[in-house]
Amino acid sequence: MATKRKNLFLYLTLACFLGLIAIFIVDGYLGIYDTIYIIAGEQEEKVEPDFWLRQSPTKPVGVKNAYHVSANWEGKIFFRYEVDNRQFSSYTADIKVAVWHSQEKVYDLVSQHMQIGAFDKEQLEWVLDTAEFLPSDVPPEQSYEFTVIIKRGQVERNIIVYINPSAYSSGAKVVPAPPR
Amino acid sequence: MKLEYVLFGFGILFCLAGVGYLAVEYVKYLSEVWKLVSLLLTVGMFAFLSKYFEDIGW
Repeated sequence: MATKRKNLFLYLTLACFLGLIAIFIVDGYLGIYDTIYIIAGEQEEKVEPDFWLRQSPTKPVGVKNAYHVSANWEGKIFFRYEVDNRQFSSYTADIKVAVWHSQEKVYDLVSQHMQIGAFDKEQLEWVLDTAEFLPSDVPPEQSYEFTVIIKRGQVERNIIVYINPSAYSSGAKVVPAPPR
Repeated sequence: MKLEYVLFGFGILFCLAGVGYLAVEYVKYLSEVWKLVSLLLTVGMFAFLSKYFEDIGW
């Protein structure tokens, strides 16, 4: 009787452990995960799937997370969007990428249907040339901001792009050194 | 004999480190409800293990 009771606790320990492993596999591993790679300038930035799950403590609940990236005036930004299907069935979604500024759509970048097999990955690449849509009335000495919104079905990823002002050279006066 | 215990100790440490690393990797993707369930299962696991060791006379 005592041996049975001892073993019962051991079995319960094992059951808890197996339950933990099952949760980690089902809820932690399985699912659809997307990663964004951005090259603005020379360095590649990687936006991991868990970035979108993190909520900043200073941000009120319900406000969407946004990734911030900076680029040079009239520079090109290279995007690579990778969707990892960790499911037993295939996954299909429409990917729509657009540039937004002041809550208005400036233009559409990508609109593509994606189909991914079970436990497979797909990638989508596009280049954003900031020279194409920077307003002509904004001088290069001024900074500019816009949002790249990636929509995958109901999921939305916001990337805020900050355009650095270019060098302040044209209007600057050269002050001569004071005489000694 | 003592060397064997040291090696066992290292083995156990590496196992715990591996499980810990994987737990940290995947706990990020868990939803809030399953994080809570995982916490309860972890507490239960240690409680039952303690009870087991107590029963075998440790």
